[in-house]
Amino acid sequence: MSEFIALRLREFRRLTQDGWLSLGFLISILFLAFFIIFPLGKILSVSLSSEAVPVYQRLIAGRATWQVILNTLKMGLGTAFAGTLVGFLFAFVQVKLDVPFKKFFHLISLLPIISPPFAVSMSVIVLFGRSGLITKDLLGLRYDIYGLDGLILVLTISFFPVAYLTLLGMMRALDPSLEEAATSLGAGKWRVFRTVILPMLVPGIASSFLLLFVEALADLANPLLIGGNYTVLASRIYMSIIGEYDLNAGAVLSLILLVPTLLIYFIQHYWVSRHSYVSITGKPAGYSRPLQSKWVKWTLFTVCLLIAALILLIYGFIFVGAIVKVWGINYELTLEHFRFVLLGYGSKAMTDTTLLSAIATPIASLMGILIAYLVVRRKFIGRNLVDFTSVLGLAVPGTVVGIGFILAFNKPILGGLVPKLTGTALIIILAYVVRSIPASVRSGVAAIYQVDPAMEEASSSLGASSATTFQRITMPLVRPAFLTGLIYSFTRSITSLSAIIFLVTPQWRIMTTQILNEAETGRFGNAAAYCVVLIAIVLTSIGLMYAVVGSTTGAERMIDI
Amino acid sequence: MRHSVIIIVGILVLSLMLGACASQTASEPAQPADAAAEAQEPAAAVEEPAAVEEQVSGPLTVLCGPQEDWCQAMTAAFQDQTGIETSYVRLSSGEAVARMEAEADAPTFDVWWGGPSDGQVEAFTKGLIEPYVPANAASIPENLKDEASGWTGIYVGALGFCSNQDVLDELGVEAPTSWDDLLDPKLQGNIAIADSRTSGTAYTSLYTLVLLRGEDSAFDYLKQLDSNIFQYTKSGSAPGTMAASGEVAVAIIFSHDCVKFREETGANLVVSFPAEGTGYEIGGEALIKNAPNPAAAKVWMDWALTPEAQAIAATVKSYQVPTNPETIVPAEAISLSQVNLVDYDSVAAGEAKSALIERYAEEVREGAAAPES
Repeated sequence: MSEFIALRLREFRRLTQDGWLSLGFLISILFLAFFIIFPLGKILSVSLSSEAVPVYQRLIAGRATWQVILNTLKMGLGTAFAGTLVGFLFAFVQVKLDVPFKKFFHLISLLPIISPPFAVSMSVIVLFGRSGLITKDLLGLRYDIYGLDGLILVLTISFFPVAYLTLLGMMRALDPSLEEAATSLGAGKWRVFRTVILPMLVPGIASSFLLLFVEALADLANPLLIGGNYTVLASRIYMSIIGEYDLNAGAVLSLILLVPTLLIYFIQHYWVSRHSYVSITGKPAGYSRPLQSKWVKWTLFTVCLLIAALILLIYGFIFVGAIVKVWGINYELTLEHFRFVLLGYGSKAMTDTTLLSAIATPIASLMGILIAYLVVRRKFIGRNLVDFTSVLGLAVPGTVVGIGFILAFNKPILGGLVPKLTGTALIIILAYVVRSIPASVRSGVAAIYQVDPAMEEASSSLGASSATTFQRITMPLVRPAFLTGLIYSFTRSITSLSAIIFLVTPQWRIMTTQILNEAETGRFGNAAAYCVVLIAIVLTSIGLMYAVVGSTTGAERMIDI
Repeated sequence: MRHSVIIIVGILVLSLMLGACASQTASEPAQPADAAAEAQEPAAAVEEPAAVEEQVSGPLTVLCGPQEDWCQAMTAAFQDQTGIETSYVRLSSGEAVARMEAEADAPTFDVWWGGPSDGQVEAFTKGLIEPYVPANAASIPENLKDEASGWTGIYVGALGFCSNQDVLDELGVEAPTSWDDLLDPKLQGNIAIADSRTSGTAYTSLYTLVLLRGEDSAFDYLKQLDSNIFQYTKSGSAPGTMAASGEVAVAIIFSHDCVKFREETGANLVVSFPAEGTGYEIGGEALIKNAPNPAAAKVWMDWALTPEAQAIAATVKSYQVPTNPETIVPAEAISLSQVNLVDYDSVAAGEAKSALIERYAEEVREGAAAPES
């Protein structure tokens, strides 16, 4: 026992020898503890407190909550299934087929990542709703797009990129020699696919399925707009806070939402990705022959093309909505919506949101890299806990984060040391950071794993301190990951809705909540203009970040000299 | 070199401080956070500055009930005229009371402007309103204000049916002229109304039915009506946009909102009223108890009753009937003398609200008539 303690103490002492770096570690860990664990703990304590008991009674007695839970599950499963299928199709076309327009397909599938949450919903309503351009004017149907069907359509489009990117990476890393071996043993194409390729992709498929399920469950924007009266847990939580301001009910429902999402997220994170069958050697030998069968090839290509065209139509139509008078009714061209967003009342939301996201982004990225370094390169008790906590910010649905923040920071704590944070801009920044850190950590961890520790050891043995080593050796090598973290943080923050919707104040207007306001009151023109401006801001900032940070690692540059 | 690491960590700390500074509305310099005591980093945000007593200054935060464009126009005009920095949040009546209740110890808002009077009475019974009689209240007719519960009317509007004539023609139905017309099976899934829990508009319709039919019969009616309802929206006027776009045939909203949508979208909307009688809304303003800036709130409340301020409504196509007799009534406003109005007592309506909403939530929205998908 004393041996154990002595070992742990030595580990800690080694940590503190990192100088400035250990300060960074300390800040990051304190941040995680204070702004992720504490709010979640508050939710747990409120939802399991005595005040919550009547809420449980009401919920269990009424049929409504069970209906809501059932709705949520149906929506989640439908989205996961459809999204994985579409993602698989797109990835398959990219990797295995020799067809034109591949670059176009790739770009189209990345479009939903940078777009705000409502964009697709609004467009789908105007295109396929009861008075839809396509459903009513073209096809003469009076189709009710609100509800489960609309939700699954919209969520599939919004989240299939996750499945696509996961499966793309996996398919590319598949070892073709296994396929060749099977073919040379006489197996037909379909048999090879069924018995060799598909089993190797199962972790990717399962991973995508689970991820999509979690994302669908956590999504708030789309159920609010296109759900109609189809209530899911996220919208029910929203109603209980915004409509009834019942924090107890909100906490209880958050717990109900939290349990499955966390469970599934961690099954995906720890179990599926550990059972990767991708390749034995780590690097594929040779390359896989594209699929030759004309019939299969062109069928898949056509389906892919149709889906891509649909996505392009939906997004293009948003732009149309921004420049016509009354989207869906009056198609006279006008610039009044853009004037509203860029020059009028909407401009403050635009600048506020960009400012707050811009402040949150470097904080999240830096802390993410620090935590990643800590988790990969240092051994100490509680390391897995830090790893676990750093991912929580994303595993937990945004609405739950928001409620946790309200519960935790509604009053001054630590005897006034920490003032009441709700109602300030700081809490919005904190919510952004909490939601962005996980991705920075993940990409940082992946990148640091690839850096041979020998280089850092060489640096230390030459007398450099840990901080110098980190700054001059590690950081340049993980610069692409850092850049990815920056881009992801900014994009995630500026398009975030569910986490901050309970935290907005009259003084700090956030674009996504403004879009919700405009869309809810039917002012789709303004909402569409906001969306277009938002996408423009994201694209510009991505370009800027590439220019400033640079995507190549420092190592390549040094070799040039 | 060491410097760069210091810079990295410095950026971290600076960003946090910047965030803390940005969170203050007053420009107080934030104390530099002590690096060793990082757990206190949010403490860099200093406590609120003491309220300025002598001169009325901002910021003023308005809880705004009507449509966003009217809110924007009013706050902009007030800010121009008085120089008081004003912002608002638009909330439906139910949401507003819920939020005020939750924030009762430290309200965000100073004044509730444009909320239905019954909602403001409900807020008063919950101890959330500070009765204040604005300077120009004397010119407002007696039945459009109540000193005891602290609200003063700023506009009046009648509840009615807003129908899309094109959709009605397709369905082969006439524009409804009675509450019973809404139960027509041909209108199944073609009516939109707001949820009475969040919307004051929808509560007005609920209470009107209670007055016309008695409580139990009113709830039976609502349960029957449920099968014809396409969607229960959050805000009171949103059903109007659905009627305008042709998604539903009939929307149950205030008639002035119908006129507004008709003008803004050019849709073929017709206004009709139930012959048995319909309710109306008196939009009022009330001072919130423990408001952060009551002085500025009172300036607002005095100003909002002037004919000039009330005339702003027409500029954003809000055609409610203004309460100040000196204000020019817009031509598009629907004269209330043409409509059969029930005797809607705001005070009684406000006092009955909590119980009725509870019953509504149970029986109409979450009970046996819960919508499937």
